[in-house]
Amino acid sequence: MDDIVRNDTKPAAGTGQSLVLTPLQDLGGFLFHHLGRLLLFLITCSSVLLVLLIFFFVIREAIPFLTKFSLTEFLTTKSWYPEAATPKFGALSLIVGSLYVTIAALVFAVPTGILAAIFLSDIVLLKIRDFIKPVIEILAAIPSVAYGFFAVLVLAPWMQNKWGFTTGTNALNASIILSIMALPTIISVAEDSISAVGRELREASYGLGATRFETIFKVIIPAAHSGIIAAIVLGMMRAIGETMVVWMASGNANQIPSPWWDLSQSVRTMTATIAGDMGETPKDSPHYWSLFAIGVVLLVMTFLLNIISEYFLASAKRKTGKS
Amino acid sequence: MRHIIRRITDKAFTILTGTSVVLLTFVLLIVLGPMVWRGAKAVLFKDTVEFRKMQLDLYNRGNPESLKIETAESESFRKTVYEIVDDFKHGIDTEELIDRTKQIYRQLGKELRYKKITDKEYQRIRLLARDLRDRLQAAFESNDEKIIKENIDYVLQYRLDENLADTAAVEFFTLAEDFLKAAENIDLNKRQQYAGSLQQVEELINRLLGPKPSDAVPALTMDRYGATRWDLAQKLLDQLLWSEQWIKQETGQPLVKIRVSRAEEFAGTKLEPLFGYVENNLNKMLKPEFTVYWQYFIDDSTAGHYFGGVGPEILGTLLLTLLAMLFVFPLGVISAAYLVECASDNIAIRIIRMCINTLAGVPSIVFGLFGLAFFVLFFIPLFGGPSEPCILAASLTLAVLTLPVMIRASEEAIRSVPQAYKEASLGLGASRFRTFVKVTFPVALPGILTGVILSLSRVAGETAPILFTGAIALGPVPKSLFDPTRTLSYGSYDIAVGDRLAMMVPHNQYGMVVTLVLVILCLNAIAIILRARVFRKLRGH
Repeated sequence: MDDIVRNDTKPAAGTGQSLVLTPLQDLGGFLFHHLGRLLLFLITCSSVLLVLLIFFFVIREAIPFLTKFSLTEFLTTKSWYPEAATPKFGALSLIVGSLYVTIAALVFAVPTGILAAIFLSDIVLLKIRDFIKPVIEILAAIPSVAYGFFAVLVLAPWMQNKWGFTTGTNALNASIILSIMALPTIISVAEDSISAVGRELREASYGLGATRFETIFKVIIPAAHSGIIAAIVLGMMRAIGETMVVWMASGNANQIPSPWWDLSQSVRTMTATIAGDMGETPKDSPHYWSLFAIGVVLLVMTFLLNIISEYFLASAKRKTGKS
Repeated sequence: MRHIIRRITDKAFTILTGTSVVLLTFVLLIVLGPMVWRGAKAVLFKDTVEFRKMQLDLYNRGNPESLKIETAESESFRKTVYEIVDDFKHGIDTEELIDRTKQIYRQLGKELRYKKITDKEYQRIRLLARDLRDRLQAAFESNDEKIIKENIDYVLQYRLDENLADTAAVEFFTLAEDFLKAAENIDLNKRQQYAGSLQQVEELINRLLGPKPSDAVPALTMDRYGATRWDLAQKLLDQLLWSEQWIKQETGQPLVKIRVSRAEEFAGTKLEPLFGYVENNLNKMLKPEFTVYWQYFIDDSTAGHYFGGVGPEILGTLLLTLLAMLFVFPLGVISAAYLVECASDNIAIRIIRMCINTLAGVPSIVFGLFGLAFFVLFFIPLFGGPSEPCILAASLTLAVLTLPVMIRASEEAIRSVPQAYKEASLGLGASRFRTFVKVTFPVALPGILTGVILSLSRVAGETAPILFTGAIALGPVPKSLFDPTRTLSYGSYDIAVGDRLAMMVPHNQYGMVVTLVLVILCLNAIAIILRARVFRKLRGH
């Protein structure tokens, strides 16, 4: 009603209705503003709630395990026989297996990733960069199960038949694929931080007569080192939490490779153990709880890595902000 | 000198960085190339008349009339194959012959019971028939031509016995005559060897042409049809023409595999012409035609994905991802809106941001554990739902997983709305809420949609979180949200590792995973295009 009156019969602004709000309207607006804000805040807090729920529920299912079995034995012994008459839960070789493939993957991925990041940020023309970016985006978009499929049905037979490995599903296979999966993360974060090092530093270096190689190695990488470390940590997080690829490609043999550099042996990781065993365990059995205990170990590991990566990202931001 | 070294190092470094990118591209091609190439064969291939039969039977597709004509034509060529094999088998497959003599003897016994004869006569005929049966069996089992001849002659002398006329025993004599003829043609010492190889030949013919028209329909769907694809038919033909044998060449060395022509193996026998015949007439027997089997994307599959397509898997993936989006979209957009528009940099906001980052870093398998412990065992039963893995639990888990992606993408989209738009709206007296709903949100919407599509593609490929919360490898199409479902992602895992039958149909294995990759790459392509347009628009072109 008000609208019609205002618009049609009394064109002059403010004649029909006071622009000053009545106390009631004022209160309403105040309440709407603050209650709405509160509501939005609460909804936003759902992320916090979810994180707490994840920690709570995963730990809750792991607690019966920790009360009945010793934590030191869980973390320091190698025999994992959850279904035996006297079950043994030594997860050391699983934890080592996870770290083993992750580190092996980083050995492949870090040099390639950083070189590619330097290439993209400092060397190549923008036009060519637009062609390479999609390649990295596609590599990042391919789902992990497709990589696992490739590892099992394409890479493993190659390894076994053409390269003479005794088994195609081994630590090398898993870590090659993991490195491919970690590469997009490493490249994009490292490239961001390298690009964030300003023109001034680069130009100053070139102006002093340094070559591009010297500029990159002596100026840019030291300046961007926090961001690069963050990139490596994020890549590591990606690799350590990966499930499908290691489950399909690592061979799932519960052992620590010896000699330690022998990548052609099969290993078993924490994620693969959870994925492989959970389907066959009855609820509320020691085996079931132990899988949640492994989940807690994983959760803690990634949480710590996350804090580390955030520290380095924040410090990278601070540095580039100053310069 | 130093200058030159510096320049060379510089150039070498440039080349090295370039190599890393070339390596990336190469990796992408290696990963996608073979998969797409083999996966495409699930849809584009040369089908055979067996495939068209299967399509008609299982999905009621195709023209029954023309198929009948085609089948009749191909059967007319197949007849010769069966004739040759049956003919040859008479002399070789003695087990079948022995079984037949036992049958005849039993039948004779039944017949005699209804005949009006004296006990004495009955006994005599029984004894005679038993004698004949044993003699025949001895002949069938023997490798010595003399013994065979002796026994067969003994049997044949009763050919005109009146007591046996018009009884089942007459067939004894036909068997004996047939066998004598067959025995003359083959090397009896090789019979054992022939029998093994013959079994393989029969099995291969069965897989190539399907069960004989006269046989009963097999129980398993996969056994009901011959080679449905021309590439498979050619592989089988190769196995039919060449047998692989492992022979020892030197002591202490590994065995060596050699290919032996089966035609040579059966040289001089009645089976020899079979191989040439099949090779020359396979085209006519199977009638290959190039086909685009687009129904691969909607068809249900038979056990082990032997026949059919990935319809239920696509449906399940769509259901899961869209439901997850339904849950996560409001949550993500509101969170992002709050973080951009209302939040100041205080401790609460820092905690929220840290939690979002933590959520993004949680391994996907831990989301699976959480989904099992929380949604399946706690949350859904809380509202009276079943405590079983189901679509609802899986999509809720996926929604939690993708929340950080959604928040970050929406945040970026909302942040990229030019400040001038907001200020103009606020300056006109609109409240901040109204400004967001009427101005900021519509402008940011395409950007938010980009985020939605990207999280869709992430969710569609996730496998670990739905392992325990709602994915199954085999099972019916879900009827409600409380049923588990098949999905492309879990299906790809199962078809690669879990399923033995699937190893026999590589095109279906690769077809599944390529479908998944294509769905995801298409979603990504849409997102990239959308993003480019938004970018251009916001720049004001």
